[in-house]
Amino acid sequence: MSPDHSPLLIIDGLVKQFGGFRALDGLSFSLAAGEILGLVGPNGSGKTTCINIVSGLYTPDGGSIHFEGRSVAGLPSHRLAHAGINRTFQIPRPFLTLTVRENVDIAIAYGRNRDTRTDTDALLSSLGLLAFADQPAAELNSARQKMLDLARALATGPRLLLVDELAAGLNPAELEHIAAKLKDLACSGIALLVVEHLMGFIGQITDRIVVMNAGKEIFEGSLANAFTNSQVVEVFLGGEDAA
Amino acid sequence: MRHVLLILVPVVATFAILPSVYSNHLLLFNFMIFIMLAQGVNVIYGFTGYLPFGYVGFFGAGAYGFSLMVIHLQAPPLLALPVGAGAAVVLGLFLTPLFRLSGAYFSIANLAAALAVLQVVSNPNLESITKGPYGISLSGVFNPTLAYGTALAVLAATLGLVIYLRNSRFGMALQAIREDPISAGMAGINVVRERIIAWLLSALIAGLAGGVFAWYVSVFYPETVFSGEFTIFAIVFALFGGNATVVGPILGVVILYGLYNAVGISTPQYFQLIYGALIMGLVLFLPNGLVSLLRRWGLNVP
Amino acid sequence: MLLYTLLAGLLFGLYFSLIGLGLNLVFGVMRIVNLAHGDFLMLGAFLAFWLFTLFAVNPISAIPIVFALFAVVGLPLYYLLVPRLLKARDPEMLSFILFFGLSQVIEAITTIAFGTSERSIPGVQLGIVIATVKGLFVGHKVDNGPIEIFGQTFPAAWVASGVVSGLAVLFVYLYLYRTRLGYLTRAVMVNREEAIATGINVHRVSAFAFGIGLGLAAVAGVFAPFMLGSITPAMGVEVTVTSFTVIVIGSLGNPLGTVLGGLVYGISYMFMQSYYSSWANLLPYLLLIAILLVRPSGLLGRQVRRA
Repeated sequence: MSPDHSPLLIIDGLVKQFGGFRALDGLSFSLAAGEILGLVGPNGSGKTTCINIVSGLYTPDGGSIHFEGRSVAGLPSHRLAHAGINRTFQIPRPFLTLTVRENVDIAIAYGRNRDTRTDTDALLSSLGLLAFADQPAAELNSARQKMLDLARALATGPRLLLVDELAAGLNPAELEHIAAKLKDLACSGIALLVVEHLMGFIGQITDRIVVMNAGKEIFEGSLANAFTNSQVVEVFLGGEDAA
Repeated sequence: MRHVLLILVPVVATFAILPSVYSNHLLLFNFMIFIMLAQGVNVIYGFTGYLPFGYVGFFGAGAYGFSLMVIHLQAPPLLALPVGAGAAVVLGLFLTPLFRLSGAYFSIANLAAALAVLQVVSNPNLESITKGPYGISLSGVFNPTLAYGTALAVLAATLGLVIYLRNSRFGMALQAIREDPISAGMAGINVVRERIIAWLLSALIAGLAGGVFAWYVSVFYPETVFSGEFTIFAIVFALFGGNATVVGPILGVVILYGLYNAVGISTPQYFQLIYGALIMGLVLFLPNGLVSLLRRWGLNVP
Repeated sequence: MLLYTLLAGLLFGLYFSLIGLGLNLVFGVMRIVNLAHGDFLMLGAFLAFWLFTLFAVNPISAIPIVFALFAVVGLPLYYLLVPRLLKARDPEMLSFILFFGLSQVIEAITTIAFGTSERSIPGVQLGIVIATVKGLFVGHKVDNGPIEIFGQTFPAAWVASGVVSGLAVLFVYLYLYRTRLGYLTRAVMVNREEAIATGINVHRVSAFAFGIGLGLAAVAGVFAPFMLGSITPAMGVEVTVTSFTVIVIGSLGNPLGTVLGGLVYGISYMFMQSYYSSWANLLPYLLLIAILLVRPSGLLGRQVRRA
């Protein structure tokens, strides 16, 4: 927790419009250092759009984003990375022709990590990638490419990590491992915003979730309580089936 | 440093010594020009993935920048050269908005830009400034020996730059941008700025090559220095040898431009057939060039 | 002068639509850039030239022959080159380079076969056809010569090119909207992945589009001697840039948008020719760059891009 207990990330009234479609329609929530917040909701409810805006891929059309007390809405990705915000991608996006080690080295060289002791080998080994360090990233399977995405994000020394469907497609052992890893990261003080469809995984690692539908939050609280909320149930099970 | 000793020094030394034992200096000079241009293409295409289909625009801008300095301001060649190359860099700056376009659109727009510059330079209405379609004559500063020596220096600088890119984190960042600009941004790389730096460096190389070419040949027409063949050859040589390496483009020039001089000058259409077929074969079977073949055989190619 | 320029621009605009049409169809369906487009046009021009010179085939009668021949050549060429490309990581860029290679091969072979000299077909040949057609309508023999439209006289060749180009656009429209294969083609244009998922034979659809694209380029070539000046093996590059300009102005990937691009291009070209002739050659390049930067989706933009 930051000393003054003010949240690390405050999102307020975020709006994003694609043509006539309102992908985000006044989304608001906040996140504290060391906390893991789950962002759940049906497809198209705006989860990934939210992450894309916070990580600088899109500029918001309205609302504000404050990180460590300063406004970061609309900054380009590299400045957000320098500020301490980083992310993984739903479909991993490593630098395919570069080696695994180079993938991470670049992020260390350009990420302006405040922790100067970050070491490529240690990072790779903690994510099970050390054995592949000198292979081109293109030769990794998709689960390992996801780990490489995470390694690259961590190499910049983020204080806010946005995790977009990291668990999808992993086997149970890998899931177990990654859940433990994310919890470790939170314990070290990193705030995590996790978008995920696997509810078991969400329940295992998060303290709190925000349920989204049609671009806004409809519930905030623990996962267990979420399914006592009629609106959430309706969104997830579909109106007519729930009735 | 190892690459400087193993590649830069031998290549430059070869071109420094050969004129004393081989009499066709123009041919040697052209080899140097094409190594510069192929490496210039390598900087922007090999490292950042943007194929400059109008690359000759920078070459021509450099040639005209140099010539106009000499003609209108009576500048000494060694001063006119960097200023003239500046014209190419300015053209590069003008074209930076093209980076908003992806892949093929960038290439086509770049080609259109080069053709537009040619149309302007060769327009009869501008005869008082550019000599229009009637061409340039620089007989007053004709000095092939000094021009050749200057070309050697430009060649050395070009190779030095590519060696730097091959071994520095800046070069690695450019390759990261080529692979995935979005991830590169998340790795903390200022994608827009680094890409423009590479673009302007590439323009500078072609501008210097164009300036020293103008000086060496001293008489030329707009179509000479804006000929699409410079672009085509530079791209084919770089592609053939292997992009994002130091030796690939050099190999490409030595082999293919050698071949061109063996069969191409008397019957250019046969050479065109050969390299056209080569390009198609490369794309379909060997997209990473000759160097990737050497790598497959276990050679570590810088 | 103004009316003349406008009408001439219209005729050339129709012709430029035809030049861009095939390229846009191929791009729309396969998302690849056929950089050899202009060279296929050049080959079509040569075929028409030889048909006329050797067998005295009138250019108008040559059109179906030329179209069929190139469409048939297009099918195997598609299967030879394109499926491999589409599997690659960046098909758009690779296709660009591959077809550039093809363009060089075509130009080289044509040069080896025919040399570099310029060739043309007498424009009067088209006049004869038009006069004959007109004669059928008015019921008596008509002089073959320049044709009058709204009091302005134009070379018969221009009018013939404009009319055939209009018919070619109509042909593509009917193919896309009135045939089953055309219906599937539109489905592939809208969403290739989904088309594959629904079991459409995407390669067959694409191969036909590719063949038609080459056929249209070749038909445009038949008129090249009259509209673009003489024909040479090296004319391809310039034509490709022009075609690209036309389809970028209209709307990339929307074949019918090509017509708008062609008309805008043709009319502005004619106005430049009439009023600023020494700078007219700059037009395609500046127009291309400007449109790409200002409105990359083309004048028709997204709303109309339903293909």
